[in-house]
Amino acid sequence: MSDNYDAHVSEVMKQVPEADPVKVAEAFARYEKDFLIPPEDAIRSVLRRFQTETGVAPVTQSQGSGQKQSQPAKKVELLTDLSADDRNVEIEVQVITHNPRTTMVRGEEKIVPYGLLEDQPWNETGATKNRWEYKDWGNSPNLMPGSVVRLEGVSVNEYQGKMSLNINQSSRIAVLKEGVRTVVTPGEPVDISSIKSDGTVSIVGRVLVSREDVIHRKDGSGSIDVVRGRIADESGTIGFLSWEPFSHEVGTLVKIENAQVRVFRDTPEINIGSSSRIEIFHDANFSSAEELNAQSVSKIEDLRDGSRDVDIVFEIQKMVKRDFTGSEGESKSVWSGDIADPTGKCRCSIWTEPPFNFEEMPVVVRVKGARVRAWQGIPDVTIDNADQIEVLAGAPWGSDIDLSNNLVEVKLSDLTTGASRVGITTKGTVVSVREDSGIISRCSDCRRVLRDGECATHGRQDGVQDLRFRLVLDDGMSTISLILNKDSSEGIMEMSMDQIKNIISENGSMEFIQSLREKVLGRELSANGRTIVDEQGAMLLSDSAEIVDLDSVMEATEIRARWGLN
Amino acid sequence: MQARIRRQPALPLLASEFGESTLHQQGSGEYDPLFLITKLGAKVNRVIVAGLIERLEPRETANGATIWQGQLRDPSGLHYFSVGDYAPESMRELIIQLSQRIDDGETIMLMMTAKARYFQNDEGAVFTSLRPEEAAVISRTAYRQWLIKAARSMLGRIDAHEKSITSEKSIDGLATAGIPENMIEGILLASEHYGEIDVESYRLNILQTLDIAEDKAIITTPPVSSANQQSLSVENEEEYATTEEGGEINQTILDLIKRLDKGEGVDFDSILNNAAARGFDRDSAESALDDLSDDGEIHEPRFGWFKITE
Repeated sequence: MSDNYDAHVSEVMKQVPEADPVKVAEAFARYEKDFLIPPEDAIRSVLRRFQTETGVAPVTQSQGSGQKQSQPAKKVELLTDLSADDRNVEIEVQVITHNPRTTMVRGEEKIVPYGLLEDQPWNETGATKNRWEYKDWGNSPNLMPGSVVRLEGVSVNEYQGKMSLNINQSSRIAVLKEGVRTVVTPGEPVDISSIKSDGTVSIVGRVLVSREDVIHRKDGSGSIDVVRGRIADESGTIGFLSWEPFSHEVGTLVKIENAQVRVFRDTPEINIGSSSRIEIFHDANFSSAEELNAQSVSKIEDLRDGSRDVDIVFEIQKMVKRDFTGSEGESKSVWSGDIADPTGKCRCSIWTEPPFNFEEMPVVVRVKGARVRAWQGIPDVTIDNADQIEVLAGAPWGSDIDLSNNLVEVKLSDLTTGASRVGITTKGTVVSVREDSGIISRCSDCRRVLRDGECATHGRQDGVQDLRFRLVLDDGMSTISLILNKDSSEGIMEMSMDQIKNIISENGSMEFIQSLREKVLGRELSANGRTIVDEQGAMLLSDSAEIVDLDSVMEATEIRARWGLN
Repeated sequence: MQARIRRQPALPLLASEFGESTLHQQGSGEYDPLFLITKLGAKVNRVIVAGLIERLEPRETANGATIWQGQLRDPSGLHYFSVGDYAPESMRELIIQLSQRIDDGETIMLMMTAKARYFQNDEGAVFTSLRPEEAAVISRTAYRQWLIKAARSMLGRIDAHEKSITSEKSIDGLATAGIPENMIEGILLASEHYGEIDVESYRLNILQTLDIAEDKAIITTPPVSSANQQSLSVENEEEYATTEEGGEINQTILDLIKRLDKGEGVDFDSILNNAAARGFDRDSAESALDDLSDDGEIHEPRFGWFKITE
């Protein structure tokens, strides 16, 4: 008998000591397997049965058979407010994933979907939301990924310390917001651009790239033949990985049903497995491979860590050759460059002699089939072969745009949610001056900040002095940590590093921080630089920044005109 | 799971909107942020506010600690704030310095970031207050720029509120009405709690705010040149401010009386409050009123009401 009935069996035994524990466990098993009623919901029925059988009068005569009378509804907002023995719970949640799973019950196929749900579906403040697994014993059509639902009469299940929700056959599910994410209905293809998160999808698209590949198992137990490629519809393109033979040629229009979406690094990818179905699709109006190829040329702002088969046009602004020794002692070279297009800047690495003179920059190139890696959040377009590169005579965006000083203006709230960016400028209000702003000591080897005169890797030393301000920028919706380097700190303070050093040694660092606050707190600041966005939040490393002086009179006049205030 | 705890953004918020809030929202987790929901549906956890310090007094608590309580006046009213042992050290030090400067007769404009707090008494009345995190003495220029931001921010909410009146009170309904996604939850909570509200007083607050923001009579503080960096210290700026302000306050008060007079003159408190919102403390405004009366530029038709002499 399964262990997970133990708690429930002992509960019954407590009330009906005469009962046979094996039979009680069997009763629970029967309720779960045959009637799909989990033990925590079955306990009252089981209890009553054994109470009647053994002649013990039920302690409390339960009216009717349901749970609702015996336990009042518990309404909560947070999953964490629930405890393991809660029944008849009411909560509003968002369905994150929904996976129908077929189980055999008494020779009959039953679908019991499972998946993840998340509490506080309306909370958009970025507060931490809790995710629990659920099982839907009623296989309700109302549970769709992305939908927000109110669950009534559901119960909590705790198994080995892990909490989950059981949605029972008698539970009510009210849809508050229809699913907006990929809906898992086999046979209903979705736009490729709408695929963002893990799940199951069907798509119709044209194969743009397809090549055989081999995946080596990490444990060395062999390798698997796979096919990698890229497929596109008019909304966008997505990479695919087929674990099954995939012989459709480039240009073929196919319908892929029941493919799994996996997010690799920051990039969604379609996995074609044994449960997926592929068929040739006929649609004379579907865009041709040439049209799809033309529209699928990426821009630097679109690049995400983990992207593959990227076609892109960019200008290489600076390139250096680095020689190093490979793991097997052979000498290797890599050409790394700073690249730009009108949407931003990033880096590229070429692992072979480039088909141009890398010492004469800038050069505009079209690159096909590149991979994207990211280092410190900055995309790096990785090129393995020279034949992926085509040198262009001129930039397609024309000669008007000078990319060498091009700063792309990005809204602060877009910076905090997107990928890391290089060569951007943004604006916000300074809402905090961190008290470690000022003179710092860096390790003379690795430039990391010394803590108590010590570097984590290189030990105790005097270090090299540097100047840096740490602020927080805010646009009323999002915040970003702003780190000003020496030049921009000097600019903001209108003092040299030496002057600042003197002030701090004369008046103390607190006085200095306070004078910096008088200068910038509450002021609008525009900052140029690059961002790092990760689990820690968003950070803007700025090499130049200035206080924006708003003209209050002009602004007030503009506000009066816009809102009709006189 | 996304476990990232993000810093709550700071809202530029006028005192009237904040002070009239009676609704709060807080999750059950230990570190869940507290939000006050204003009548206009702003969800407020952190604010950035500015104004003139009107009062700053220490108060001994039962356990012997000192709490500084103060008021910050902006064109719409007063913010109440308190700085206690829990405040950052730099904030506590600053408050002690400021209190000395105020005792010495200085007028101080302060910009501060603060966390929203509320207190509910036994009768159920809600009192809002602020717990400052960082603050700095600012110039009038910085104050006026802040006023512009606060006005814009409030106008955005008035606009969203008005759109919401005729829409269905649901997420989709408000989204269809063109209300930005990040404002919808607050508006729904506010409309459920406050019902119908009067935005006219907020419009008046904005008009006062804009008046002060574009007041051409007000001087700007001198730029701090790097050669003269020591002028960062208090004394120089103070000297500058007092010399320039002497004649300016009289003119401001005359302007105020001219603008506010609806026929029977303007009452003493209105004049002093409006002067304060423009950065003149009560004492100097009062003595300026005396001066103007002595000079015969204004007269007092009945006690406490002032008119310009024709």
